[in-house]
Amino acid sequence: MAAERRRPMTKQEYRQMKKMQEKARRQKEREAWEAARGPMDLPFFLLAMLLLTIGLVMLLSASFPSAQASSNSGYNPLYYFQRQAMWAGLGLFAMFWVSKINYHRFEGLAKLAMIISIVLLILVILPGPKANGKLLGITHNGATRWLGIPGMGTMQFQPSEVAKVGLIVFFAQSISKKREKMKTFREGFLYHVVILAAMCALTMIEPHLSGAILIFGIGASMLVVGGIHWGWIAAGVASVLGAGYVVLFTDFMEKVVKYNAARIAVWRDPFGGDAAFQRDQAWQTIQSLLTIGSGGLLGVGLGKSRQKFMFLPEEHNDFIFAVVVEELGLVGAGMIMLLFAMLVIRGFWLAIRARDRFGSLLVVGVTVQIALQAFLNMAVVTNLIPNTGISLPFFSYGGTALAIQLAEVGMVLSVSRQIPAPRAE
Amino acid sequence: MAHRSPRQSRPQREPAGPKRPVDSVRKAKQVIQRRTIYLLLLFGAASFLAVFAKAYDLTMNQGEELKTRASQQQTRSTAISASRGTIYDRNGTVLAVSATADTVFLEPRAIQDYARQLDQERSKLLAEGKTSGLPLTGQAYKDMVAETMAELLEIDKEDVYEKMERTWSRYEILKSRVDKETVGDRVRAFITRDGNPTGRTIQGIHLQSDAKRYYPYGSLAAHVIGFLDGDNHGAYGLEAIYEDDLDGKTGMAVTARDASGADPLFQFEQYYDAEDGNSLRLTIDANIQSYVERGLENMIHQFGAANGAQGIVMDPRNGAILAIASSPSYDVNNPREIFDPALQQRVGTEKENGELVTLGDMQRLQWRSKSVNDTYEPGSTYKILTLSMALEENLVGSGSSFHCSGSKTVDGRVIRCSKKGGHGLQNLQEAVAHSCNPAFIEMGLKVGPRKYYDYLESFGLFDRTGVDLQGEAGSIFAEYESFSRADIDLACYAFGQNFNVTPIQLITAQAACINGGYLYKPHVVEQVVDPEGRVVKQFDDAPVRRVISEKTSAKVREILEFVVAEGTGKNGQVAGYRIGGKTGTADKRNEKGETKDVIVSFLCFAPADDPQVIMLLTMDTPSRNTGTYVSGGNMVAPASSAIMADILPYLGIAPQYGDDALTAADRTVPALTGETRDGAAAKLKEYGFAACRTVGSGETVTDQTPEGGAIVPGSAEIILYMGEEKSGALCTVPGVVGLSAAEANKAIANAGLIMKSAGAGGAQGIQAISQSIPEGTQLAAGTVVTVQMGQTSNTAD
Repeated sequence: MAAERRRPMTKQEYRQMKKMQEKARRQKEREAWEAARGPMDLPFFLLAMLLLTIGLVMLLSASFPSAQASSNSGYNPLYYFQRQAMWAGLGLFAMFWVSKINYHRFEGLAKLAMIISIVLLILVILPGPKANGKLLGITHNGATRWLGIPGMGTMQFQPSEVAKVGLIVFFAQSISKKREKMKTFREGFLYHVVILAAMCALTMIEPHLSGAILIFGIGASMLVVGGIHWGWIAAGVASVLGAGYVVLFTDFMEKVVKYNAARIAVWRDPFGGDAAFQRDQAWQTIQSLLTIGSGGLLGVGLGKSRQKFMFLPEEHNDFIFAVVVEELGLVGAGMIMLLFAMLVIRGFWLAIRARDRFGSLLVVGVTVQIALQAFLNMAVVTNLIPNTGISLPFFSYGGTALAIQLAEVGMVLSVSRQIPAPRAE
Repeated sequence: MAHRSPRQSRPQREPAGPKRPVDSVRKAKQVIQRRTIYLLLLFGAASFLAVFAKAYDLTMNQGEELKTRASQQQTRSTAISASRGTIYDRNGTVLAVSATADTVFLEPRAIQDYARQLDQERSKLLAEGKTSGLPLTGQAYKDMVAETMAELLEIDKEDVYEKMERTWSRYEILKSRVDKETVGDRVRAFITRDGNPTGRTIQGIHLQSDAKRYYPYGSLAAHVIGFLDGDNHGAYGLEAIYEDDLDGKTGMAVTARDASGADPLFQFEQYYDAEDGNSLRLTIDANIQSYVERGLENMIHQFGAANGAQGIVMDPRNGAILAIASSPSYDVNNPREIFDPALQQRVGTEKENGELVTLGDMQRLQWRSKSVNDTYEPGSTYKILTLSMALEENLVGSGSSFHCSGSKTVDGRVIRCSKKGGHGLQNLQEAVAHSCNPAFIEMGLKVGPRKYYDYLESFGLFDRTGVDLQGEAGSIFAEYESFSRADIDLACYAFGQNFNVTPIQLITAQAACINGGYLYKPHVVEQVVDPEGRVVKQFDDAPVRRVISEKTSAKVREILEFVVAEGTGKNGQVAGYRIGGKTGTADKRNEKGETKDVIVSFLCFAPADDPQVIMLLTMDTPSRNTGTYVSGGNMVAPASSAIMADILPYLGIAPQYGDDALTAADRTVPALTGETRDGAAAKLKEYGFAACRTVGSGETVTDQTPEGGAIVPGSAEIILYMGEEKSGALCTVPGVVGLSAAEANKAIANAGLIMKSAGAGGAQGIQAISQSIPEGTQLAAGTVVTVQMGQTSNTAD
């Protein structure tokens, strides 16, 4: 072959080669299309649907007391449930639609997705003439994390939710392209870490600590899987552990940072401190613990939570899992944890079996997002870690977030469609 | 792409099919696969295990504790108040009873939140341009609540405002135990939607049902009954001693609530039944108690007793206390208010040690029962015990004689008798009737220290009686070693000085002397009865022990009857009844051991041959300026006579009149209208009336004074109107104190009234010592005026 190549190609030969290439490309595309029309992974799909269904039921149970008591929800006990169900429907549609797309199409959109993510993250924090001092961002509880959806009235979404998807797609594309260069410092490590740090920083400015933690966790996990040098992993793990130790087990927060110090104090001993402390700073955590403790082994029964009656704040949102434990008990909550674990394991299994690295990384990103969010949420609710507002996938109220999650599930299913079927024995 | 070398142009996206494995592609994929497994282990297993472990700890290990805390906030427990047991007297008269009351409280946070909510609503409506149908401002709401509460509960408005600001609290009591009917229900109406001008339910004001204790008779038997503390638990008296019996088990209705206090959608209710408390049936008789209290008050008033008085009435046959009263007393309904005006005035004055008398001092003083909480040197009434011992030991008898020279020297110390010149030679009966100290010293010395000391113990004087009353004090006696060392102690003991006992101890021992020798345990609670009326506890009135024989006891009764009939106790006589008794005047020793003031006392029992009631009255520090010589016989015995005159007929003990006393006995006036003069006279005679007078000259009786059916002494003159109009003029009560019985009768009859003579009979040295209706009072003709007869010049007790 080497000898032949020294001679310049004739026009005919070139045309022939082009034709061959075109034919091969079409062949490949056809193959790819056929592959993309393969069956989606049923276990992953069913697990996701099971969690979504249980999540909706629990949301109804957890949310009706506050829904019927508040003028914000028009005293309609089904207010939250109806909206969540609508978004779930939308999300399911998105999931099937995305799952039908050949996921390689996302590869080309990776850079665009990242640019959109960054722009949105900047938009939300951009100062402006609005009452909250922002240009577009919408503030709730002192944090500017939301943007309005144009033409959808009061509907809102969090740019950080979009940014997670953008990050997953971009990192999957970038890492899969770099292959063994991932081991290098500049291209493998620095390049990604800078982008990741920028996203985290933008999210932190909102402020949205939990969002930043999730983005960092997803990005870091993908870099680990993507093959960065073990040294960086070790350094990363060491610095995370070190920072965690300093924050959680020393008086660094009280003495130096001051901001968020109360959260650490609450985490250490929610029932300590004076009445004002228990009533204000520790209220949410105390109520969450009381809620969980009330559940016992078998729970008080579906729908029969007492804590959801205005005692537990955010009971339909970040703290819905506490209501789950109270109503379904340790057994019911354990089953739900098991379902999450199975979904996560199945996700990683799909990542291992995926047809290519991009697919693997895509699935790893989505799976890590679900796993990390579920873990952090449950850990906060049980006061295993200090309180940061993280929602529970498929359970917590939040329409756009749910729709995005389901779309991400669609991405995993899309990847799963191209996994070659195991040879029949 | 076209310019790239084929190697470079190899599509990177190409799936790593098994046909064309490229090293770096395969390697990169292997890295991903391997590292994904690590993530799988971390995120798929480890993290969920950690969370599950924590959830396990919270639900299984800390579950109970957390659940308890949770249910505390989730539930609103409404106490179903168990009704506290009722206290009845022996006849079923209610002395203490519980009724429902309401405690009104305020929830500051709810008020503040609601005020804020009103402000928000208002500004929202204003922003929408509405001008009508606006809610109140938050401040106006608070004002309205504060004003209404202040008005309904009669509390200070500023106080309500202050409590509204205590937002850290959920429970600020505005007023405890207001009457449910008059106040509670009005508050309840106010907080409903229609009961107030806002047209909405009032937030932040709540009521809690509670019980309130009522004592229908106020201060009657206050020291026995006692009172409750702020939590409706017994603080003093029977209320405290029988707390476990009286206090019901409070029931609870536990209902779910949400954080705003409203009922959640589903019902969660659990009931714990309230168990009503048991009731007490006392041996106390409210009527006898009131006789004694009234008698004490009259006596204190008459003789200006500086430190009050006490009285105990007991059934000597079983130790049941029929009445036990102490003055100063208090109103059980308001135990913390100083009831006695004299004590009220003492608050703030200076004590001997320069300190000021506080309200608390006076409260403690009025709560003290002299009968049980205080000891005293009993003096001569105690001599009954020395007499009993000497008789029981056969050391003295009817034939014994005692010589009194006016004093006796024991161990070189001269002990004087009350009669300076001495009583001379006297038999036993006379010695007791004279209350002769030398005679009793002789008896005591005859008994000897060992036996004497043993008797003191047998009579129960060393131990508390165990009466079920608050804070029984113990007695003070010398140790046997020092007692037996010399005769002087025994000599003093013999006539009731140098040791301290409580009145309840003394009367218990004295009852044993006259009831055949049995020592009973004094008690005020006869039965504990459950709400269904079943007897839960019954007092066992078996005697504690026998101290002396029936023979001795009979002799003691006989001698003591003689004391009242002929001796120092004459003033204790009650017409128609055989009374036994003993007077007493005892020196009071102050902290320095000096004797200046005295406690005068009188013990009596009736009927003397078969005692059914025994009474000990003492009066502390009577005034020396009343004109009456300070002694138990002069001061206490008449009061005792008046009380006994009420008690004995009340107990259904029939009077037995001797010939001379016959006319004094009460008779019922027959209705004589329409009778002829002779017929009327005959009928009057038949009814026991000796005298009648006619006014007018008609043939038949047209009217009479007193009216038919009236109960008047047989000595009364009945006026018959024969056709003449009865005069409607009122009669003026004359003053008769100091007159003899005949003179008094004449004076009162002349005034158109009827005299009833009470107290001592006979003529010698007996005069009117008090009258039931003060001189100068205007009364309808024929009204009975009771005159207490007695002697005032007794110098011995």
